[in-house]
Amino acid sequence: MTEVTATSADAPKKAPRNQWWDVWDQFKSHKGAMLGFVVFMTIVLGVLFGPMLWHFDPTFIDIRARNQGPSWAHPMGTDQLGRDTFARMLSGGRVSLAVGMTAMALSLVVGTFVGVLAGYFKRLDGLLMRTTDLFLALPLLPLLLVIIMLFRDKLSATFGPEGGIFILMVSAIGITSWMQTARIVRGDVLALKEREFVLAARSIGTPNRRMITRHVLPNVLSPILVSATLGIANAIITESALSFLGLGFPPDFPTWGRLLFDSVDYLQQYPERVIWPGLAISLTVLSVNYMGDGLRDALDPRIRGR
Amino acid sequence: MLDDAKQPLVRVQNLKMHFPIFGGLLHRRIGEVKAVDGISFDIMEGETLGLVGESGCGKSTVGRALLRLYEATAGEVIIDGADIAHASPEELRMMRPTMQMIFQDPQASLNPRMTVSDIIGEPLREHQKGSAADREDRVLELMDQVGLNRDFAKRYPHEFSGGQRQRIGIARALALNPKFIVCDEPIAALDVSIQAQVVNLLEELQDRLGLTYLFISHDLSMVRHIADRVAVMYLGQVAELAPRDDIYSKPLHPYTQALLSAVPEPDPSIAEATDRIILTGDVPSPSNPPKGCNFCTRCPQVMDICKVKKPIFQEVEQGRFVACHLFENNEATAANAASEV
Repeated sequence: MTEVTATSADAPKKAPRNQWWDVWDQFKSHKGAMLGFVVFMTIVLGVLFGPMLWHFDPTFIDIRARNQGPSWAHPMGTDQLGRDTFARMLSGGRVSLAVGMTAMALSLVVGTFVGVLAGYFKRLDGLLMRTTDLFLALPLLPLLLVIIMLFRDKLSATFGPEGGIFILMVSAIGITSWMQTARIVRGDVLALKEREFVLAARSIGTPNRRMITRHVLPNVLSPILVSATLGIANAIITESALSFLGLGFPPDFPTWGRLLFDSVDYLQQYPERVIWPGLAISLTVLSVNYMGDGLRDALDPRIRGR
Repeated sequence: MLDDAKQPLVRVQNLKMHFPIFGGLLHRRIGEVKAVDGISFDIMEGETLGLVGESGCGKSTVGRALLRLYEATAGEVIIDGADIAHASPEELRMMRPTMQMIFQDPQASLNPRMTVSDIIGEPLREHQKGSAADREDRVLELMDQVGLNRDFAKRYPHEFSGGQRQRIGIARALALNPKFIVCDEPIAALDVSIQAQVVNLLEELQDRLGLTYLFISHDLSMVRHIADRVAVMYLGQVAELAPRDDIYSKPLHPYTQALLSAVPEPDPSIAEATDRIILTGDVPSPSNPPKGCNFCTRCPQVMDICKVKKPIFQEVEQGRFVACHLFENNEATAANAASEV
């Protein structure tokens, strides 16, 4: 606080500092979060640009080069059909991360919407929270299996096999994982609603919709962002689990979960093939969790600056 | 000071604010907290009415019910000719610029994620059509008015001291040129040196802009400094309402006497000479107030009638209203005196 005053006294004309710079400074000081950030960005950039640099086609079958160990030609070896595992990891990562982020975004939007409405409007609270409880009580994996069984063919027919299954996976994961966010957001909104600045806004005559967008949402941002980072991890794991069970994308379409599923048969002979996708999933989830941890600290103004 | 020809800007009649208590197995309504139980007063234009009383007597609830931040249980609130208590939400929104509020806790009443210029500009954004540049000009003008450095416009509330934060709150309340401002203990959360600054600022603004204040406080010496008339509340009701000098020189209601005798006297020789009235017991629960006068459980001059019959809030001298059986005997004489004057 004193530093800020001192610098501003020296240079009063300097453009005011954005609050997000403070958040970034605090985030940088969290070692685990920075490490997670670096690892996560490496993975994201790798799967985004890797396939452009690594010119192996992940679906190209070279039956003579099958079941090879790591070498300079194939850094992660090849699978039972001679496909390059590294190329499959890169393009599989694209799908897994895309599913993870989109499903997270969907569950975040639903969860925040339900949470804010339930917390802010007392009349909707009971109904919305009982719905949330209902979704929490559903056994998720069997439910996902049923959803996929029911809708896979219809969606594949409309959007093509890959697009259809992508939409199906994202929405299935999204609508089964918004409940935690809704609960956290509702609790925060309930507490926030009693704060004096909300009363002050009411005395100004701010209507409810702008009250929510201007006063409530920015103040529940930190729990939302934290549950977002946890949500990515959760979505990637669910996608992997479904692919692992053989219910996700088509068999020739690589995702990290599918790679795991294919490699399990060869666990005894070639254990490294299970390790690669497992490592990628674990690293992503771990790095995202650390980032979430750092973000929560950085977004809390009481911790910031300490 | 009081001009009879003037119309009151604010007229409150028999305002009641009861909060329900729910309990039991079926979550039924089992009672109510009578936070404000039938109070009436007028505030003239340009006047400051001080509202004093101990913690929990319903001062803040009156202020909030006046601006309809709470839905009053019963009663009428008329501000600048408009009926606040029964207006529809859209009508109410249109009336908001006339009446504003300054809050007790300057830390809690400012959104921590908005910059100062956003906070002060919020009422302008809600009620005026002007462009962003106009708004910015007005915000800077308001910051000058309350004595805040213009360079701080893009800062966040946590970077300010308590007094500065309260100035931000005052600037926000002034943004729409209101006629009437409810000051809900605006100085209670500040330390003494800052209190004086803020109170002087409020007085200066009143002179300059012709504002009308309802000044809620438990600080009797501060109320003596700023108020023109003073209303003393006890347990949801007004015990006494009188011009400032009268009430401080000659308090009528036993509760007012007790309250004023609790004000510390800086001169030790006077302090030793005066007998403090020390009340015994606690304030009764507002969910179950006594049958007669609310003060009868603690009153040093309690009579039998006090325990059965509620006293009437009436004018006993010119401009002095008291709710006490001690003065009801003089009812006829008081009425005569009033008519003669």
